[in-house]
Amino acid sequence: MGSQWILYGYGLVCLSMLAFNLLYSLTLRAGDRRLGRRVAWIARQASPQLERVERGEPVEERHRRRLGRRLSRVKGLLAFDRYLDQMDGENPAVQGYLGQLLPVFLRLSVVYRRREDTQAAYFCHLLTRHQLYRRLRGDHQPARLQGKMLLRMVSAYLEKDSLYCRVNALKALCAFGDEEIVVEAVQDLGRRDGPVLHEKVVVETLMTFAGDQEALIGQIWSRFEEFPLSLQRALLDFIRFKSGGYCPRMLSLLMDNSRDKELRFAAIRYFGRYPYEPARQPLLDFVADGDPLRWEYAAISASSLAWYPGQEVVDALSKAMHSGSWYVRYNAAASLEAHGLSDEEMARAAGEDRYAREMLAYRLEVRQRMEEAAKAQLEEEEARLAAEAAAQAAPGRKEAVAL
Amino acid sequence: MREWIQGILWIVECFFILYMLGYASFLFLSVTVGSSDLYAAKRRNLLKNELANDYYLPVSVIVPAHNEGITIEATIRSLLALDYKLYEIIVVDDGSTDQTAQAVREAFHMWPVNRPIQRRIPCRPEVAVFETRAYKVPITLVQKENGGKADALNMGINVSNYPYFLCIDADSVLQYDSLEKIVRPVLEDSRVVAVGGTVRPCNGATIQNGRVVRYRMPKGLLASMQVLEYDRSFLASRILFDKFNGNIIISGAFGLFRKSVVIAAGGYDPDTMGEDMELVVKLHVFCRENGHPYRIRYVTDAVCWTQVPETLVDLCKQRRRWHIGLFQSMTKHRNILANPKYGAVSFISYFYFLIYELFSPYIEVLGLLATLLAFLVDLINLPFMILFFAIYVVYTAVLSLTAFLARVHTIDLRLTVGDVLKAVGLCVVEVSCLRFVMAWVRMTALIGYRKKKHTWGQIQRHTINVE
Repeated sequence: MGSQWILYGYGLVCLSMLAFNLLYSLTLRAGDRRLGRRVAWIARQASPQLERVERGEPVEERHRRRLGRRLSRVKGLLAFDRYLDQMDGENPAVQGYLGQLLPVFLRLSVVYRRREDTQAAYFCHLLTRHQLYRRLRGDHQPARLQGKMLLRMVSAYLEKDSLYCRVNALKALCAFGDEEIVVEAVQDLGRRDGPVLHEKVVVETLMTFAGDQEALIGQIWSRFEEFPLSLQRALLDFIRFKSGGYCPRMLSLLMDNSRDKELRFAAIRYFGRYPYEPARQPLLDFVADGDPLRWEYAAISASSLAWYPGQEVVDALSKAMHSGSWYVRYNAAASLEAHGLSDEEMARAAGEDRYAREMLAYRLEVRQRMEEAAKAQLEEEEARLAAEAAAQAAPGRKEAVAL
Repeated sequence: MREWIQGILWIVECFFILYMLGYASFLFLSVTVGSSDLYAAKRRNLLKNELANDYYLPVSVIVPAHNEGITIEATIRSLLALDYKLYEIIVVDDGSTDQTAQAVREAFHMWPVNRPIQRRIPCRPEVAVFETRAYKVPITLVQKENGGKADALNMGINVSNYPYFLCIDADSVLQYDSLEKIVRPVLEDSRVVAVGGTVRPCNGATIQNGRVVRYRMPKGLLASMQVLEYDRSFLASRILFDKFNGNIIISGAFGLFRKSVVIAAGGYDPDTMGEDMELVVKLHVFCRENGHPYRIRYVTDAVCWTQVPETLVDLCKQRRRWHIGLFQSMTKHRNILANPKYGAVSFISYFYFLIYELFSPYIEVLGLLATLLAFLVDLINLPFMILFFAIYVVYTAVLSLTAFLARVHTIDLRLTVGDVLKAVGLCVVEVSCLRFVMAWVRMTALIGYRKKKHTWGQIQRHTINVE
């Protein structure tokens, strides 16, 4: 009898599952309709306010309060997002209207700070989207103060556990364009335990910084030593993508043997993007270094030397073609090709070394094929243009025949 | 004699009660956790809790192919339609006897090159290498001597230029956003060394530029049953195991790996038929033995559409191969079993795969034999047995249906009423009939497996419905 009850228990589980599936399907269908009704409500409420703004009158306080209440629920925030999608963001009335909602968003920032991470992340996302940061930033003193307070509130979102919330908060801060707060936020990210965010995320997010990029880089340099290694590497990459004005600083980093090798690699890559004469000799030295344990320095330097003209560079790269490391040979071959050496010069560089010859032959082959492909593409384009011209001329010819 | 049989049957009965309780509880837990995870992911996406910027990790997409002349062009075209910027495509033709390589060369106007290949992992030598740069991303075709799928993948790794590689089957089509979605766990946590995506049967779906424009349950009953089975199995174990870094399988049809770690671990094992599972188990072993912090993740929203066998003969061949692969991986890494060093990987994942995957066909057939014996000696409570079987079928069918609907709801596919009814009917048939046929196939899989362990296992291919 006991085992029968177990079976009935499992039967009950089946019924509960079926009920769940049914209810979820119904809820899903109703969800879209409810969202549509919420968007329509916001549109109805906002429409007279937009007219007021057009007439040069302020947005009503009552409207701000009602909207604030509605947006304090995440479904309301979703509807507002959808409503803004339908509006013309460049319309001065819309911009003026949004500008006057700063107190609403300031209150909401306090509300969503206390909410679960998913909702908090969405609030940050909304601030970034629709360029709300730009519209919320007022020129007069109280608005500037409120804007600063909003920024401070958003930076507090970085304390949340959710990675998405922290990244969305960082994006919102970057969108506001205050370099001090952004650098503090990156420091906060570095201090956290748990999963380490991929450096690419940090770099790409910083790339969206809407303020003065040079000021941001200045702030980064001033606090560089306070960041953990993984972030230092990401920050150097960011600087490499943004500015070539830091060669002396990068050179001192490169020459500092006490630095982690990843930072020195980042500096070598920097000199690959921004050729700098004082860096030439150190790069040549790295390429010439035959220590197998230091092959990474040689490989990255061989790549960077592609942008340094001169016979001594060609000689160093030719020598590197006989390195024991596959990567050094590969990068040296690519750089020699970038130097525009003729086939004979390439063959001389390879000498009798079979590996070097294979590597260079491949590079030459690729170059030749690329040139052929480009030529074929050009011919194809010319043929297409000629055909188009002929097609345009054709009606005239038909007319001539008819005449 | 009767008392003796009665004693044995009592032991068998106790064992089966424990076995079925374990299975039913696991299935319930995993489907519940899996479904709630899918719904939570849908909510997260709705509320933009995602890394949605242009964070492009460079990825080499490796397509091992053996006699895939019919589908290979469609597969590469789907790869070219991916909504991703930084990747390369590497097709490895593993000594095909059909026109696979020729089809690729002609369709994509490839030229032969003398490309030096660094053999970081041993593999059979290449016969020729072809390249083209005329498309959105570079495409490389390597023709090599036949050495099996694992060997072809190792060649692909050797040829690849990027730090991450993605392996997909030549008969599969990636959804347009799948590459972007599968790299997200790596961006979120730099300890991630491997990510598995979701594999869904594409029989019945129409795919246009990597987007599913029309989705129906497949016409064939067998393929339809596999749709339900795939959803249940992906939801059943992978999401749950992902919670404690315990996934020991990433489908060979769709998986992303960090190249440096795979090379350090020795690459794919060419002597194993289930090279996909073997590699993941090996990564667990390698990382734990070397104190390397790691995570192996599974993502639900990165989708790969694959053809499932439409005939019973092909399905049996496929399942036989999978079971042999499972056996090889489990026995090769048997030191994981009950080893505290491996934590939950040992005591939950490995144990689950051992009892409910590797041994399950034997246990299920043993159960049927015991029932038959009990019937013969009149020791069976027939009404109870019928109730038991009915509850078992309904229970498993409802959980399959829940997994299927959760998947459909969360990827915004629309089903017709006919398809829903078909799913309801077929999940009962799948649990009550197909499952036992497959149990028999898997039970007999190991007979003579040594002779077949290097074969690709040919399955009848059809052109994928890609527009």
